[in-house]
Amino acid sequence: MAVANYIPETLDEALLLRKAEGAIPLAGGTDIMVQNKRGIGLDPILDRPVMIIAGLKELKGITLHEDGSVEIGALTTAGEIASSLVVPWHVRMAASGMGAVALRNSATIGGNIGNASPKGDLPQPLILLDAEVVLISFGGERRMLLDDFIKGSKKTDLRSDELIKSVIIPPHDFTYSYYRKIGMRKANAISKLSLSAAAVVKDGLVVDFRASSGAAGPKVIRSREAESMIIRRSIEDIPEIVPDFLDAWDRAISPHAMPKYRRNTTARMLTRFLEAIVNEEDHGIIE
Amino acid sequence: MYKEIEFRVNGNKVLYSGNPLRRLVDVLREELGLIGVKEGCGEGECGACSIIKDGKLVTSCIIPVGACIGSEILTIEGIRDTEKGKCIVDAFRDGGAVQCGFCIPGMVMAAYALLQSNPTPTEHDVRVAISGNICRCTGYDLIVESIMLAASRGGELWQ
Ligand SMILES: Cc1cc2nc3c(=O)[nH]c(=O)nc-3n(C[C@H](O)[C@H](O)[C@H](O)COP(=O)(O)OP(=O)(O)OC[C@H]3O[C@@H](n4cnc5c(N)ncnc54)[C@H](O)[C@@H]3O)c2cc1C
Ligand code: FES
Ligand code: FES
Repeated sequence: MAVANYIPETLDEALLLRKAEGAIPLAGGTDIMVQNKRGIGLDPILDRPVMIIAGLKELKGITLHEDGSVEIGALTTAGEIASSLVVPWHVRMAASGMGAVALRNSATIGGNIGNASPKGDLPQPLILLDAEVVLISFGGERRMLLDDFIKGSKKTDLRSDELIKSVIIPPHDFTYSYYRKIGMRKANAISKLSLSAAAVVKDGLVVDFRASSGAAGPKVIRSREAESMIIRRSIEDIPEIVPDFLDAWDRAISPHAMPKYRRNTTARMLTRFLEAIVNEEDHGIIE
Repeated sequence: MYKEIEFRVNGNKVLYSGNPLRRLVDVLREELGLIGVKEGCGEGECGACSIIKDGKLVTSCIIPVGACIGSEILTIEGIRDTEKGKCIVDAFRDGGAVQCGFCIPGMVMAAYALLQSNPTPTEHDVRVAISGNICRCTGYDLIVESIMLAASRGGELWQ
């Protein structure tokens, strides 16, 4: 064995290991074990010590706070998120579309964020909802927008002495919601492309409008510039804004592989969502 | 800090003091001789190594043994001779669900996890439950029908 690996019993022990050795946290292991796979009968080897944090109770569970915000502990699995009654719809949709049953029972939200793959499914709806991430170290806690925490493909703002503690999603009450993940097949398929969108419409006025694109660039993309073109406009005005809005969104995304397909499909999904708003379709989920 | 990893496999206590990053599938197959657990892809994609950990279906090829402290683990060997296990295995046989058999232990574990939480599944529920289990032989239909058969034959057993 090249380096020692640990199983801390408490969060304090884990934070100490983080500080002293910069040990790599392993939560569900579904990324780490695959990325460091060496074959049958061979243990994965990493260049730094690994600490298995899967058992830390301090980082588990979902809490609905009094202000309506929902806090999800870093070790909460995709399966637990998908079946929660309090987690917002967009996030539940993304969680229930991850992998297959067994994968959802292992994969954690902290791991999905920590891995920071542009194809990871949970950051996309979380960034749509302005979720914040809570980071913990011996020095205390800090909170920041998830959109700022994820810096790019596989890059986060995590310090070597920190752990992701939880994610906090502020409350929302949308008139319309949209979520779509496109993969090669239904189960165990990494996203080729995904999109979330949401809007609040009051008396014919779009009060809030937002969208986020997954797997369409080095990180999840939300174009505030494009969003602001729709916000505070009346629904009658939207059809004439759509072309400029789609152009602005298209400039914001930067898909690598099959860029034309990804750009066209993104535009089609956004068009569908805007059409539902303009046509004053029944409130709720737009298919 | 934990020095030893204590957990239960098919009801028996196991103490493991090696590398916590060792894959659970290797501990089950090589240390404990539970070779009903199969390894196909080794990457969580095929479901051949599926087992039940604390009541939940997981793929043992991507779980390190160090994540099993205090866990209750069930493999095909642990359910095969129980009433529920026999109900599924008999249904697989009678329903003609088995060809080469390589995927079957994982399929049976997935079926077991499903029926434990949902005793009266629809065909769609069954297909979702085994969607992480790849079979190269059967085309799935006979497996799905056999799981439906186990649900209806088992009746009260699953309630
Ligand atoms: C078969 C298969 C299918 C998959 N399908 C999907 C899919 O559909 N959608 C999807 O998004 N992903 C998918 N994945 C990828 C993976 O399952 C997810 O990214 C998962 O959420 C990772 O979580 P984990 O707990 O297993 O992470 P780990 O492997 O334990 O960790 C991943 C990274 O996050 C870090 N980390 C973990 N927890 C913390 C913490 N609390 N604080 C700081 N850093 C932390 C780790 O150090 C590591 O760098 C799939 C993987 C497999 C094997
Ligand atoms: S061998 Fe574990 S999922 Fe394929
Ligand atoms: S019966 Fe051969 S793989 Fe399923």
